[in-house]
Amino acid sequence: MSATADGAAGEPLLRTQELQKNFGGVKAVSEISFDVPMGAIFAVIGPNGAGKSTLINLISGVYRPDAGSLSFDGVDLSTMPAHLRVRFGIARTFQKIRLFRQLTALDNVIAGFHVHHKIPAWQYLVHGAAFTADRRRCRDQAMQLLEFVGMSGRAHVPAGSLSYGEQRMLELARALATKPRLLLIDEPAAGLNAAEVDGLLDRIRSLRHGGTTVILVEHNMDLVMNVADRIMVMEYGRRLFEGTPAEVQKNPAVIAAYLGGELL
Amino acid sequence: MSETVFAQQWLGKATSSRARFLGYLTAVAVIVTLPLVFNDTYWRTNLTVCAINVLLAIGLDFILGYAGQLNLGHSAFYGLGAYVSTLLIVKLAVPFWLAFVAGVAFAGLAGTFLSLFAVRLRGHYLAIASLGFAVIVHQILLNWISLTQGPLGIYGIAPPPALVVDGTVIADFRNLTAFFYLVAGFALLSFLLLSQLVRSPVGETLTAIREDEVSAASLGINAAAWKVFAFGVGSAIAGAAGCFYASFVGTLVPDAFFITEAFNILAMVIVGGMGTLIGPVFGAVLLTILPEVLRGLGDLRLVVYGAALTFVVLFIPGGMAQAANAVGERLWRRRSA
Repeated sequence: MSATADGAAGEPLLRTQELQKNFGGVKAVSEISFDVPMGAIFAVIGPNGAGKSTLINLISGVYRPDAGSLSFDGVDLSTMPAHLRVRFGIARTFQKIRLFRQLTALDNVIAGFHVHHKIPAWQYLVHGAAFTADRRRCRDQAMQLLEFVGMSGRAHVPAGSLSYGEQRMLELARALATKPRLLLIDEPAAGLNAAEVDGLLDRIRSLRHGGTTVILVEHNMDLVMNVADRIMVMEYGRRLFEGTPAEVQKNPAVIAAYLGGELL
Repeated sequence: MSETVFAQQWLGKATSSRARFLGYLTAVAVIVTLPLVFNDTYWRTNLTVCAINVLLAIGLDFILGYAGQLNLGHSAFYGLGAYVSTLLIVKLAVPFWLAFVAGVAFAGLAGTFLSLFAVRLRGHYLAIASLGFAVIVHQILLNWISLTQGPLGIYGIAPPPALVVDGTVIADFRNLTAFFYLVAGFALLSFLLLSQLVRSPVGETLTAIREDEVSAASLGINAAAWKVFAFGVGSAIAGAAGCFYASFVGTLVPDAFFITEAFNILAMVIVGGMGTLIGPVFGAVLLTILPEVLRGLGDLRLVVYGAALTFVVLFIPGGMAQAANAVGERLWRRRSA
């Protein structure tokens, strides 16, 4: 187990308590409590319909919880709208890709700098030195992010024309533009080939080295075993088990419910 | 895909700061020259109507083309600007430019007020709400007879006071050319400011909201607040157009601001090309001049006008801006080949 995942050392970055979300009669997320330590890669796995994406939507603010609470770095998030959570340092990608399809890859990333512009109000109408500097800075940083995800050659291609794998990587770059402390990645490997998945894992690891905490929701068990410090297994909206990858692999309940014949 | 990249490259060239400066220089030259070329009263009147419509079109484009809000009630803000400024001048003897500011502010606030409620609505629902708002405003103008004189209208509205410096008359706005310069100058200034705004992060923010609100929120964008902002700015510009209209025509009747006017403005934006600022300028000019040019055809002109509109929507959905881009791209490719 990695030293960075030592949650006991201090206050966790994200803490959820008895989180609950219902859709009609379906308890999509039910009594979920967990702590994500600062600097960890925390994976959430489970079969389809286990409530993983609902959990991401609760943390990012797309949904409000019906019960329970969640706090980020000591700040209560329960009623905070999604756009404000970004200012506190929470960013996300989407399971079903939601890029600005008509904008170029570069402009998609630049849009991610929304909360970081340093331009005096009047310079929005009369573009001065601070405006030009901000534009150049955003453009340079956006190019760096595209380079980070291996897409600097595709900067001027409209997002809608990119390949599926490229779109996933672009979503990652766009989310990183908000300079998150906590990055929520929702099923990033869906639709990627093996080489693309490897590239993705490398990036997630280097993000953690840069100090970003990651919550990784994934369907693919093999992928998270390689990269995660802690894994929470969900089933039917509930927490089945939480522990290190080794503990998850050995846990009989998890094997019975989810891994099944895969490991045996 | 490669075609889009070519277009982007060409647009990139065309929108360099030097090209923009030349563009504005050309615009000034065209504005100065137009009333000298068209020197009869009929065409000079049309020129000013063009300039007023350009204001309406770029204001609506900011709301519709950039923020993506389907506003079918732009005529309401136009009418509110016209009536508020005129009533202040006629009933309370408020000086013209003060009434102008009040008309612009009132229209802008009305847009803000409407959008505060309407931001929760999207697409068809927003369209219906804004259309309903335009119907209500028109009905109020028509039926609040003690204030607006209803269908009888308000007559004899004075043009703006002459511009006098040191006892010398610089511009007398009873003169059609001077009035055209005033409105066209204001339209050019509005265009310049909007253009600055949409090339700033505000443009990216509004476009992001237009493309995907959930995604925008995940980047920290408060979509509701920015939609209200876009509505406020766009409707304030319509208010300015209304003030100019009233003092230009000298007569106000509610039917000038019936919902058909909202659809006229919408047609200008669509024919010109939504989401570009320059497109709706040409859209406004074309759809103002075309009916006048076709006047010789009698009732047939409406058929031709309708057919032209249908043609654009069916075959060039991006409007004149798209057509110009396609031509420019072809030229660019030929030159670089």
